[in-house]
Amino acid sequence: MKLKEYLKTKWLLILLFHLMILLLILLQLALKAPIELIIASSFIIFCFSFIFFLYDYLPKHFFYQTFLSQLEKLDQKYLVTETIKTPNFYEGKILVDALYEINKSMLERIQTSESNMLDFKEYIELWIHEVKLPLATLTLMVHNNKSHYDNKVKEQLKRLDNYLEQVLYYVRSENAEVDYLIKNCSLKKIISNVALKNKDSLLEQKIELIVSDIDHFILTDSKWLEFILNQIIDNSMKYKKKENAYIKIASKEDEDNIYLIIYDNGIGISKADLPRVFEKSFTGKNGRSGTKSTGMGLYIVKKLCRKLGHKIEIKSEEGKCTVVTLTFAKDRYYDVLK
Amino acid sequence: MQKILIIEDDQSIAKELKELLDTSGYESIILEEVSNVLEKILHTDANLILLDINLPEMNGELLLKEFRKHSNLPVIMVTSRNSETDEVLSMSYGADDYITKPYNPTILLLRIANLLKRASEKGENYKYKDLTISPEKGLLSNGTSEILLTKNEMIIFSYLLLHPNRIVTRDELMTTLWNNNEYINDNALTVNISRLRAKLKEIGHEEAIETRKNQGYILL
Repeated sequence: MKLKEYLKTKWLLILLFHLMILLLILLQLALKAPIELIIASSFIIFCFSFIFFLYDYLPKHFFYQTFLSQLEKLDQKYLVTETIKTPNFYEGKILVDALYEINKSMLERIQTSESNMLDFKEYIELWIHEVKLPLATLTLMVHNNKSHYDNKVKEQLKRLDNYLEQVLYYVRSENAEVDYLIKNCSLKKIISNVALKNKDSLLEQKIELIVSDIDHFILTDSKWLEFILNQIIDNSMKYKKKENAYIKIASKEDEDNIYLIIYDNGIGISKADLPRVFEKSFTGKNGRSGTKSTGMGLYIVKKLCRKLGHKIEIKSEEGKCTVVTLTFAKDRYYDVLK
Repeated sequence: MQKILIIEDDQSIAKELKELLDTSGYESIILEEVSNVLEKILHTDANLILLDINLPEMNGELLLKEFRKHSNLPVIMVTSRNSETDEVLSMSYGADDYITKPYNPTILLLRIANLLKRASEKGENYKYKDLTISPEKGLLSNGTSEILLTKNEMIIFSYLLLHPNRIVTRDELMTTLWNNNEYINDNALTVNISRLRAKLKEIGHEEAIETRKNQGYILL
């Protein structure tokens, strides 16, 4: 609270005060009062007024000063009511009580909507597990009656599963609480699972899968990483070249990190689109032409990577290739424990 | 014939699963009533159990935990819950494998075959007629002469050997190869099979692998 600003708001009062003293002096002069009396009475009035002023100003000054500096320091501004003491002047009390009430009602609102979100999240997870049952039945039916259905049905079922997984992981990535489990996982095993999942599509579309040097162990949640890789491979398949398409997967390591590199010789991403591929609902040139795209895949991938602490980078040359690099930090502490 | 017990509360899946297993050379039984499961599965004569996690009365993981106190029968957990926590929990309660729905049926069969093999043979060398096979060394021998198989050829031959007297589809062979981190394409599979045939011919088994058109291969 600045003195100048404070005084500005009190200008009428100050004006009236000066007017009052002026009137008193004039009155006393008119009544021919002795000059000493005039000076003494003016002095008394002035002194007391000054004390009144300090009495009003100082507590306010100290209160608002701490209030503002606390507010400045806090990361979560709404917690400010917890840090300040109720002041002993009336307006301050009103303010603090009001803030407290506002906070309380806002927290209640947030709590309701959080619990609604959680309910919804739980319902979605449950629903996805429910939906997977008929999907599993259908997959088995197609397999058991191969003569009735061809591979196209299988392909569509796979798409359906892929979209369901996207919703599931979107829900998982949006929520604050942790539902992943980091452990030491074999990269080879994870790649193998992803490859098997996409085997039919890869063979169908005649895309060569070249995997080399992946005998590394990384700290991750294997299910989440499988989803991430699945999305990347899915993109590679969607935006492949017509002839001689291939996807190369390899890993390497240095002092601090293990890198997983997924290279495809597909149609690539244009320079203008490249910086935006991780944005929500961004479809870009490739997504709009040809294959339908929701623009959610890479957005979710990025979010999951951030949660797991992995780094993801995409480089591309339009019409030539796309390279996705995932970086996993090595944990020295883990090695020591072993 | 190996017996497989299916514990699954979704009737349509259970039915299709039974059909899959029955046509793949197993005898399968569906546990009809999902009440008092523990009692029933302790007295089963099955060689392997497929257990769903979401059972109406009892959680599959807890059921497994109880079951493991009394029996070492191979158990594969089958579930639609796709999370690391569930998998780790299941494995720590003694599951031998964990598969999430919707699964690739060929992969399920592969895992079942692997488990049953592990349960019965425990690392013995396999035999085919007069041939001794050592998969780790990639070696076939008939006592007098030996022949070296590549990794892919050995995977194919072992799979055929494990599934005698029935047609093995190309898809099964492909899945097995991919499951062993050999990501080959259709042409490569054909090449591998003809090379394997040539090698078998060299060692005196010319007619070992027969092609059934549009169906697959059979080891005679």
